[in-house]
Amino acid sequence: MCCTHSFEEVKNEPLSPPVSLDGIKGMKFFDPHVHMTSRTTDDYQAMADAGIVALIEPAFWLGQPRTGLDSFRDYYSSLLGWERFRSSQFGIKHYCTIGLNSREANNEALAEQVMEMLPLFIYKEGVVGIGEIGFDDQTAAEEKYYRAQLELAKESGLPVQIHTPHRDKKGGTRRSMDIALEHGLDPYKVIVDHNNEETVKEVLDRGFWAAFTIYPFTKMGNERMVEIAKQYGSERIMVNSAADWGISDPLAVPKTAALMKIRGISDVDIELITYRNAITAFAQSGQIDEADFGMVSGNIDQSQKFEGNTILRGGQQPRIDKSSIIIS
Amino acid sequence: MSDIKSTIKQILRANISPEVFIWIEEDRPLNSLFMLLPRKTGKAALTITPAQSMAISQAIPGFSVDDWTVDRLGRAYLLMNLDSSDKDDYFRKIESLFMAAEMGEQVALYSSLPLLDYPELWVKRCAEGIRSNIGIVLEAIMYNNPYPAQNLEQAAWNQLVLKAFFTDKDISKIIGIDDRANKDLAYIISDYAHERWAAGRELNPNMWRLVGRFIDDKLFEDIKRLFDNGKLTDRRAAGLAIAASNYAPAKALLTKYPELERAIENKDLSWQTIAG
Repeated sequence: MCCTHSFEEVKNEPLSPPVSLDGIKGMKFFDPHVHMTSRTTDDYQAMADAGIVALIEPAFWLGQPRTGLDSFRDYYSSLLGWERFRSSQFGIKHYCTIGLNSREANNEALAEQVMEMLPLFIYKEGVVGIGEIGFDDQTAAEEKYYRAQLELAKESGLPVQIHTPHRDKKGGTRRSMDIALEHGLDPYKVIVDHNNEETVKEVLDRGFWAAFTIYPFTKMGNERMVEIAKQYGSERIMVNSAADWGISDPLAVPKTAALMKIRGISDVDIELITYRNAITAFAQSGQIDEADFGMVSGNIDQSQKFEGNTILRGGQQPRIDKSSIIIS
Repeated sequence: MSDIKSTIKQILRANISPEVFIWIEEDRPLNSLFMLLPRKTGKAALTITPAQSMAISQAIPGFSVDDWTVDRLGRAYLLMNLDSSDKDDYFRKIESLFMAAEMGEQVALYSSLPLLDYPELWVKRCAEGIRSNIGIVLEAIMYNNPYPAQNLEQAAWNQLVLKAFFTDKDISKIIGIDDRANKDLAYIISDYAHERWAAGRELNPNMWRLVGRFIDDKLFEDIKRLFDNGKLTDRRAAGLAIAASNYAPAKALLTKYPELERAIENKDLSWQTIAG
């Protein structure tokens, strides 16, 4: 029975392309974890076209460790400056989380200096959390700076975006949550990222937000995500792309929404998982105003308006016809 | 500076609640006040009376806060409140704000340059800002801001003007655009025009206002080209450029276009109305 049933299900789906975005036309999406500094303008354009209206760029490393404080400073300020502007040119509202990532916490001499500098950045406009922080190797140094940054989050009232490790994920995730609670953080202000089938239950049971990264090969695939949505519903669950300079997909959020739609998840649940929940969680920073989304169609953030024109004036990227071989 | 400070204070107080104004005056680290300010003030467009607007432009000709938001003005006020008696300390404090500034802070900082003490201290910083590719940061330096024209050396000024054309800025809002026209810039503009022509791209007719006074035999070739191959706005630009020139062959050329000559004489045509 079950096999026949699932066979029918598969047969009813178009084989190529396996998922079209048609079913989610007109829907809005929020990608709460995407590293845009490592993506191209083509990605921004495709994201805007697919309905992504806002995103969060968590601070992370550069694929190799930084060796000096100034590289951290320049990176943080680029998240607040150039990248924010680049995003705005495509009508996408750009937020970020600021933190010392776990890998680089292992350079203790430098980590100390970074910790001293963080308060200069975490109260900036549009900083919606401390992140991404947590464990990678689960070393003593990682734990030390994870704890220090949880204290910073508590002090500032900002949400926390936790990166959970690739290796020993289940143990690492549990330990991350234990420590957060030990420091007196409200689990409702903590977003535990990169969950999978093995970690989700405990994260939700303990009152944390469970984020899922739809990332080929190493993290979640979106078919598995659909199953999780079927099993756990939409409360405190969100998806992101975590797209970076690895093989990843900046359209992971809209694509997952499209697949959910095809697989019969309700529009209400899709909206919660791919848009609303991320806003609810990170808006606890006081730094997200939905009215700022969609600058193209009437931005009301007056500080970005000049003479009644939006920021896009003199800055909006003109559309190029990708199918033409003529480049003018 | 005290006049402008009291005017800005008055505008600020009229646009925020007394509680927020007390918060702004609190004795706290500058970095923190500067960073947190929009959370207290909001980011609404300022409400300004015509008298206040005039008081600003009388105190600092060319300067205007008419298009500013309340957080931008609040940040400018914080900068004006700084004790500048120790020059090095003053520089360090403001420079450290620049170094960690997000977009909105950069806009506030650069557009406040005319309000800072020791104008010579900010020349390099201003030149650095012109290298930015963030549209609103460039506009903060270029529009209604008299600092660049008054303080930048020629090469940096020319860079500002050229960048304005490259990024499609509204040239008429650049304070000192005509006063600081120079022969080097006229030649750079000519080269730029030739590049655009070679690429088959349009020219901003306003660029010729920087050429007029310096027309010589070489630049005259460009002017002739505008008349021969250009559109209506190109011919108008050529005419206006010649009107600012004393180069006899150019003057003679303009007489062949009596309608254009008359429109310029009667002030029916100007750089402001050229596109219309």
